[in-house]
This record gives sequence, structure tokens and C-alpha cells, in this order.
Amino acid sequence: MDKKVIIAIVLAAIIVVGVASAALLLSKEDKGGTVKYLAMAPKDMKAALTTDQVDAYIAWEPYVSDSVVGRVGEVLVWTEDIMPNHPCCVLVLRTEFLSGTNGLELAQRFVKAHIEATKWMNDALADKESQNYTKLVDMAVGFTSRNASVIKAAFEHLEYRYEMGSSFDSALEQFTDMYIDLNMTTSAKLGDRGYTSVADFVDRYVNESFLEAAGGIAPSATILNPGSPIKLGYLLGDLHQMAQVVAQSSTATGTGKSFLETYGLEVEDAVGAPFASGGAEMDGFSAGTVDIGYLGAPPSILKHLNGGTGTTIIAQANIEGSGLVVAADSGINSLRDLVNKTVAVPGPPAETSIQFLLLKIELERQGLEFVVKT
Amino acid sequence: MGGNAVTTSIAISSLSKVFRKEKKIITALSGFELEVREGEFVCLLGPSGCGKTTVLRIVAGLEEKTSGTVKLQGREITSSGSDRGMVFQEFALFPWRTVRKNIEFGLEVKAVPEEKRAVISKKYIDLVGLHGFEDSHPRELSGGMKQRVGIARALANNPKVLLMDEPFGSLDAQTRNLMQKELLRIWSATGKTILFVTHSVDEAVFLADRIVVMTARPGKVREIIPVDLPRPRERTSREFIGVRGKVLAELDEEFEKARAKELSHD
Amino acid sequence: MAGIVRSAYQLVSSNWRKVALGLASTAVFLLIWWLYAAWLRADWPFHGTPSGAWEYVPYPLEVLDAFYLSFWSHPVSGLYMGEHIYASLKRFFMGFILAFALAVPVGLLMGRFWTADAAGKPIVELIRPIPPIAWIPIFLVLLGVIRGPIAIVFLGIFFPILLNVQFGARSVDPTLIDAARTLGARRLDIFLKVVLPFTVPYLMTGVTVGLGIGWMCIVAAEMLGAAGGGVGYFIFVTAGNSQFPYTYAGMLMIGILSILTTGVAGLVERRVSKWVGMR
Repeated sequence: MDKKVIIAIVLAAIIVVGVASAALLLSKEDKGGTVKYLAMAPKDMKAALTTDQVDAYIAWEPYVSDSVVGRVGEVLVWTEDIMPNHPCCVLVLRTEFLSGTNGLELAQRFVKAHIEATKWMNDALADKESQNYTKLVDMAVGFTSRNASVIKAAFEHLEYRYEMGSSFDSALEQFTDMYIDLNMTTSAKLGDRGYTSVADFVDRYVNESFLEAAGGIAPSATILNPGSPIKLGYLLGDLHQMAQVVAQSSTATGTGKSFLETYGLEVEDAVGAPFASGGAEMDGFSAGTVDIGYLGAPPSILKHLNGGTGTTIIAQANIEGSGLVVAADSGINSLRDLVNKTVAVPGPPAETSIQFLLLKIELERQGLEFVVKT
Repeated sequence: MGGNAVTTSIAISSLSKVFRKEKKIITALSGFELEVREGEFVCLLGPSGCGKTTVLRIVAGLEEKTSGTVKLQGREITSSGSDRGMVFQEFALFPWRTVRKNIEFGLEVKAVPEEKRAVISKKYIDLVGLHGFEDSHPRELSGGMKQRVGIARALANNPKVLLMDEPFGSLDAQTRNLMQKELLRIWSATGKTILFVTHSVDEAVFLADRIVVMTARPGKVREIIPVDLPRPRERTSREFIGVRGKVLAELDEEFEKARAKELSHD
Repeated sequence: MAGIVRSAYQLVSSNWRKVALGLASTAVFLLIWWLYAAWLRADWPFHGTPSGAWEYVPYPLEVLDAFYLSFWSHPVSGLYMGEHIYASLKRFFMGFILAFALAVPVGLLMGRFWTADAAGKPIVELIRPIPPIAWIPIFLVLLGVIRGPIAIVFLGIFFPILLNVQFGARSVDPTLIDAARTLGARRLDIFLKVVLPFTVPYLMTGVTVGLGIGWMCIVAAEMLGAAGGGVGYFIFVTAGNSQFPYTYAGMLMIGILSILTTGVAGLVERRVSKWVGMR
């Protein structure tokens, strides 16, 4: 074999590698530090943490308390520390549903059931000795397949809330601005959907009328939509969305009927429920397979703006209730310690969850980059 | 030729080769005897299937004999080696190597240093008349030139004998005649012992010191006909034609026998 | 460098008719695309009501714009296009090198030794027909989203190389081996000096085929894994966010990368074949 050819090949290889590395180094600007993220389903996050696949993860309850109570992890920061009282899960309606038979009334009744369920939960949580508290914990254990101690710990950092209002609106505006900053949507898209500004968008996307109408809704002895149940969407094991569990439970009301039945509603799981992420659930809305659903506010905003999904927010479900977990003996004491480490975020898709958004906001406040791990 | 001391180069005694083909047992050679003297040019001639190529391949070490002895300069042959150089009908040049690199192949195998290889390959390139084509690839060469490379390649290892298996069979008539003359020139320049297999009576009479006419299968020596004509030989001379006639006579009978055998086996 | 430019110029000028035809058909393609996008949006030269699906077909210029922006100012998931390309290329080459390093020796062994062939045949014949893409969900779980795509690429490239090398090794002209033996070659010499060079053109064919398959695999794996960066991931994420000009830009990037890698492979193949004297 000709020596010259071998030398030429080796030289060529060196040059290629050199150019490639140079290009890479040049394209990456040197900032304060970079934290990496990896999308995965929250149910896999604890295992990923313990097997060192990731150095931290951020998810909604009960996945946070899972690790804490299991003593494999500790919470580095709660999302409520990043943005107190931040909205989290909301109740979303597919606008075309309103054009169906009795669409408006059905939707209003659903919101009423949601409100009653939420009130019931808050009462139960206020009195840990009460029978209702025990019932609630049992329902949560069944829904999330976690044991009671995890559930109880999770409840400590959770607040169920159905009201919206001006602070809710301004938080959503802040989220939308963030998304525009992150190039995940654009003002042009706002225009495409027919909104004149972020404020205009939030104003028209959030619909308070259902909450307002709730006062006038009375129970119904008969089911109003027999045979064509409302298709309900929700996220897998998401303790934030207990309202729908409670609303469907026959033990909560004490009358033997669930809240939903009390108000004359037949409801069934939508195709694809429970969903792994809000983005996936929004796709269900787009496809028309979900009528009403619980999911995070950010994905419902993003998908509506970018994808034109015809939805509207008709109630809130909870605030706060998510945390960033690091391994118990990791020595990571601040977000800065996460530089060059990997954080698991809910997904795929990765960037649509509120957990991602809030973490990104906080990291940027500290001058850190948040990029996908390659 | 002849030489001062008549030493035996190749000594084949009671050589037989039997092999199984499908369900049949085929005896290719049976009791083949031959002694080739140093520096001699011996042709093996015979009908198709008589085993002449088999004899050559056994001497080359490419095939195993079934029984008998084959000795080269008194030592038994056990396997192939560069002491028995071989030239093939299909040239068998390495297409990815240049002419020079083909010729140097055996030297590389023996780990001859580069400078020495260059000297040797140049010598043989010049000998076979391929000066100027050192860096050509086989596909760029004509048939005659390819065979020159084949000859040079075998000779470069300074073999004790040169085994040639119908080397000019793929060439056209003119090239063939030319190459026969060239071969004689190279032979007289190197003094090698040559064992040459051919179909062609003309070729054998033109080239050989002795012609070994083989029988049809199972092959053995039918007749050894010496060709005492001085070289260069005239193909049209009376003596030439005379020897040719003698050889043909022997050969024709064997051809008939071979044909009959083929027909009876069908 | 000047030589390359000169030969590129020569290539174009001697084939100007072919080049012109190619450019013309590309222009027609772009025109049809632009017209379709305009029709969906009911923009000039069409009018009427825009179709609901107009987002899914951006204008060619929008795609070009997005393509350009993705390198400098519009990162996806925090990374610029250059970094996504680097991630994909890194994984692709790792899979390629692994496949090459394993397939060549195994192919040579299976081509020359009936024992190796008999031993390996059942496994090869069983796994080979399975499209590498089918393994994606399994490897993504077993190896994670960063290394899973490497395994997929490996599978995609391994079999074409293996089969071609095996075939080449098996096809070595026996007379060449005879010739080598009469030149004093022993088993190892025959292997290194006859079998190996003979197999090289077959190897190059296998490599060229494997590279094409490998690209399909890496993109599919990144899209399904949706988590480890790379050009496939880029496409998936931007599509999910309905940022379609970027999605198309990502697809364009894959086309370019594929052309580049197979083009380089073809060049190397021609060069090697010429050097080896078989063309």
C-alpha cells in the first residue's frame, strides 16, 4: 500500500476533524454557563435520577415527592419560589364543542362540577383529621399509584384554585412574552390568529363567562348528554388535576352520585388520555378527540398560537406544585451547580411545559443558558 | 542444451492422482513417470483431460498427489513455493498492482528490502521487454504484454524451474508466434528449466528439447519424442515437419481414445 | 485547492447542458411550490379565502430565510443549526465507524471460511431483513436518547457493508490465489495481499449504500427519540411548535448533508478503485 496515500488520508482526517471542532467552538458563544435538558416522561424521571442518567429533574407532583419521600432526592427549588402563585394547570375547552348540541350548557355544567370538586378538595385539605381528607388521599393514591405518604407530602406544596382574575391574566401575559423572547412563538403569530397584542390575546383567550355562569347552575336529575359523553383529557398521574378525579368519584358528594352526574353530565376519557404531556393533549384538541381537558397553561397557549388549535381557557385548576429535584447526596446546592449537568424536563416535546418555562426563566435570571443535551 | 553435468531437476515417479467427482471416482493420472534435466525445455502434450495441467499443478504444489514421488533437485515437494514459478493461461496478474508491483510481489513476500526489489524488478522488466510500462496497470496492457509480466513476475523470484500452463493459449496467432520467440530468448538468457504444457503440436515442436506425449485419461507417458533440431527452428523446414508428423501420429491415436471414452461415458 | 476549483469549473463547463437542465427543473419545482403556497394563502396571483392548512406550506423564500436564521440567530432548543448538525454527524460517524470496524473483519471471515459463514448465517439472515427503524423504540429505551440513534445507524450501515465484503471476499478469483501461492505467499500473505485488495471495491459499494441508509436511520431515530438534539430532532421540535419554515429548513439540511456524505463516499470510492486499478 502506497505510503503517500496513507499519509494523505490521515492528513485529510486530521483536517476534517480540526475544521469540525473549530466550527463547533466558534458557533458556541461563551456565556456564563450552560445547563442541559433532556425530555422524558415524568414517570421515568426518578429512575433516570437514581441511575445517573440525569443530574436533576423537574416535574409536577407527585413525581417530586416520589423521590423526596423515597429519600433518593431532595428539592432544590420549588416553582413557587421562582414565581409565587404562578398558574399551573387550567381547564381548557375546545371552542367547536360549543356548536354541538347543548354545547354551551354542557360546558357550563362541567365548570360547575369542577368548581364544586375543587371546593370539596380544599375543604378536605384544610382539615387533615376529616373523613374527606382520608377519602381524598385514597383517591389520589388510586389515581397516581403512589403510597399515602408521598401523596400527603405532595399535598403540602399544592393549592387547588378555580378562580382566574387579573393576576392570572398577567401571569399568562408574562408566559406569552417569555415564549416570544424564546423564539418559540412570534408576535407575527399573534397577528395571524387575529390578536392585536399579548394583552389582547390573553384577554380573549381566557373566558371568565363559565365561572360567572356557575352560580346559576342547578343540579340535574337526569343526564343531559346520554350516549354522547364529554371527551375528557388529562395528564398521567398529575396530582394537579385531581379535580377531575374527584368530580368523577361517587364517594365525594356523599349522595352516591359523582359531581358530574349530579349536574347531569356523562363523561369519558378522551382517546389518548391520560396524556404524557400538555403538548400531546393539545394535539388531541386539534384532532377533535378531546372536548374539555386539564393541562398546563403554557402548552395551551403555545399550541393555540403556533398551531391554531381552537381552544379557550375556561377555569383554573391549580397553582404551583412543581419542583426541581436533585439526587440526595449530589452536593448540588444551587442552580449554578447545575452548569454542564443535565436536567430532565417533561416531554417530549420538551419546551412546552410550564416546568420548563419557569426553570428557563430562573436560569436566565442567573445568566445561565438552557440548551438541549446532544 | 545439455550442460556439462547432467543433473536432474524434476523427478516424477509413479505419480497418480485420483479424485471423486460427485459420485464417480476419476483417475486423472496413473503411473506417470518423467525426469526433467536442469536447463531443459520439456513440453507436455496430450488430448484434453489427459492430466497434463494436473501434473504441472502437482509439481507447483497447488494440488496434492494421491501416490508416487515428485522431487525437485532431489528433495520431495510438499507444498507450493516460489522455487517453482508458474505462468498461467489467464495471466493471473493482480489488477490493482502496477506492472512493477506485480513483478515485485514474490519479493515483497520474502521481505526483500525496497531498493533491492527495485533493482531486481527493473532487470526483469527489461529482460521481457516492458521497459516504459513499469507503472501501467494490467488492464492497460495487451495480452502479449500481460504474459511478459507473468513471466517476469515468476522469474523475479529466481525459481529453480518455470512451470508454464498453456501460457499463450489466450493470444492471437501472431502474438503467439512472437511470444514463443520471446520465450526462447528469455530462456537462453536465464537458463531456467522449463516444463511447458500445451495443446499445440506446432508450439511444442518449435519450443521443446523433448516432447512428452501423454495418453488419454488416466494419464501417463505414452511416448517421449526428442527434438534435436538446432534453434532458431524453421516451422516450414522438412525436419520440423517430420518431427511434427511423428508427434501428430502419436497424438491422434490418443485423441481418438479420449473421444471414445467421452462418448461411452455420456 | 486551486486544482479542485479548476476541476469543478471544468466539470460544470463540460457538462453545461446537464447543469442547465438541472437548474431549469429546480426552478420549475420552486415555481410550483411557490404557486401552491400562494394558492393556499389566497395570495397573489390567487384570491379568495385562505385554506386552513396554509401554515403547512411555507413560501420557498421563508424556508431559505429560516434556514439562514437557524445558523446565527434562531436557536432551536437553545442550539443553533450548526450545533444540531454536529450532534447528528457525531452520532452518525460513531455508528459508521462501529459498523465498519465490525462488518469488514466479519465479512472477510464469512467470505473466506465456510465455518464462519455457517455460524454467522442464521443470525445475519434473521436480523438483516428487519428495518433498522423498527429497532428505534427498543434502543431508545435500552441505550437512551443520546446513544440509541448510534445503535440504529450502526444496524443500518452494518449489513450492507457485511454483505458486500463477504461477497467480494468470496469472489476472489482462485487463479489469483494460485498465482500468489506460486510466488511464495503463505496464508497470511494471501489474505493481506490478495483477498483484501480484491475486496476493496466491494467494500466501497457497501459503504456507499450503507451511508444512504444510515442517514435515514439517524433522522428517524432523532425524530422518534425527540430528545437528544440533532437535525431530526430539529425537524420534530419545530414541527411540534408549528414553526414550519424551520421544519422545511431542517429537511433541506438533511438533504444537503446526505448529498455531502454520499458524494464524499462516491469520490473516495472512485479514487480508491482507480488506485486499486479496478476501474
